[in-house]
Amino acid sequence: MARYGMVMDVSSCLGCRACMAACSQWNQTPFWAEDFEGKWRTRVTPLEEGKFPEVRKVFFPTICMHCENPPCHSVCPTGATYINKDGIVLIDYDLCLGCGYCIEACPYDARYEYEKEDLEKDEFYFGEDARHHQVHIDKCTFCVDRLEEGLEPSCAATCVGHARIFGDLDDPNSEAAKLVNSGKAKPLGEYMGAKPKVYYIK
Amino acid sequence: MDLVQQHTWGWFIAIYLFFGGLGGATMALGILGELRFKMGKWFGIGTAMLGLAILSFGLIWLVLDLIDPFRFLLAFWVKGIGHSWIARGMVIINGAYIFGVLYALAAFYGWETFKKWMGYLAMFCGFGVTTYTGLLLNANVGIPFWHTPALPVLFTVSAFSTGCALLMWVLAALKSHEADHYFHFIEGFDIFLISLELLVIFAYFDFARLGNAAVMKSAQLLLHNPMFTIGFLVMGLIMPLILEAYASTKEHSKGLAVFASLLVLVGGFLLRYLIVWAGVFQYPHGLAG
Repeated sequence: MARYGMVMDVSSCLGCRACMAACSQWNQTPFWAEDFEGKWRTRVTPLEEGKFPEVRKVFFPTICMHCENPPCHSVCPTGATYINKDGIVLIDYDLCLGCGYCIEACPYDARYEYEKEDLEKDEFYFGEDARHHQVHIDKCTFCVDRLEEGLEPSCAATCVGHARIFGDLDDPNSEAAKLVNSGKAKPLGEYMGAKPKVYYIK
Repeated sequence: MDLVQQHTWGWFIAIYLFFGGLGGATMALGILGELRFKMGKWFGIGTAMLGLAILSFGLIWLVLDLIDPFRFLLAFWVKGIGHSWIARGMVIINGAYIFGVLYALAAFYGWETFKKWMGYLAMFCGFGVTTYTGLLLNANVGIPFWHTPALPVLFTVSAFSTGCALLMWVLAALKSHEADHYFHFIEGFDIFLISLELLVIFAYFDFARLGNAAVMKSAQLLLHNPMFTIGFLVMGLIMPLILEAYASTKEHSKGLAVFASLLVLVGGFLLRYLIVWAGVFQYPHGLAG
């Protein structure tokens, strides 16, 4: 059993969005949406910080926070949202009612609807390799299928700036745990009580 | 902080919240009339069935709001009952149907003791339906305007007010001493409920005035929307309160009260739609992509 988490080093993010491309290819998320509609498991948002003349541009990477006390899990009526043995928040698509309650409950904007049109596009682009076969609510899984093969999540594996540091937060030797334990990396929105396992170095 | 207005839930959910609350309250108040105000079995049966029919109409919209309405059967898989208000709501709604129908059957066949038990259980479930709709929104921690104890109270009071309004229509059409007596009870109860609703609304916005950025944003959205200020506050609350209070002091003034109850119904719907519409997320900075 592990307690997987991720550290986002915002100062190292180049804003290349290779992570978004890698994630959407691996997980077949709706990159085809014309207006982008926010249907990404991971996003990189350009932000301006500070006031003139002390202004800088940063790129802010986000994913599901895989909270230890996830509000999305609390509201799910059918038990479709669950936490696996490694602390990863997942969705059982067979049980997902598609009510959108978890989208409303998530205080980190991590979820979206995988709709019928998305299924059609998924099949169009990926044919027999299409991985989505029913409508559901979708979100980051820390690429749980890659973890089972001993690989990192696709976003972390593809990050050229080493801005995404993935690891077992219970393993004191992992780089992610060291950053968290040192106090350098901090979670977002702690006051909401969800106990996120994605941390940020700003 | 990034403030983002929610857009996942809209008209369909608002319609459900309105008709769900209205149906539950109608059934509860209707059965109360039969059990406690000697309104007769047909009134009890009729209002219980009317309440369930309204609830069913609301549920259609809830199902239509699913990504795939054909997956609605999964709603019966209430594994999340320990923590989810949709799962708990499903149990409460099913209870309302079961006990409502059993009450109607018992009333029809004259099984008095059984009828009384089923009636009280159906009333309890009807009350539960009115309450859980507010608790359902209340569970969303990311939308601070919803995540307040005032919301379930507001929705419950409003639901019973709309239930009173509908029953006033039914009672105004009935010609009997009992119907007159119950009409005046319901009219008085509605005056109390509207007054209470005004108090809760005042407390809600006073809380919003001192709240965080998202709460203030939600409050501003509502206070700058004429549908809320004119449509709900003035036409849906203050006007019917004045009209019903005036009508209650006059003989033969059912028509006025019935007109006021129409305003209450429109106001009840506007309240739910606008509260849903004004839900604003408060994302930690950088998350709103």
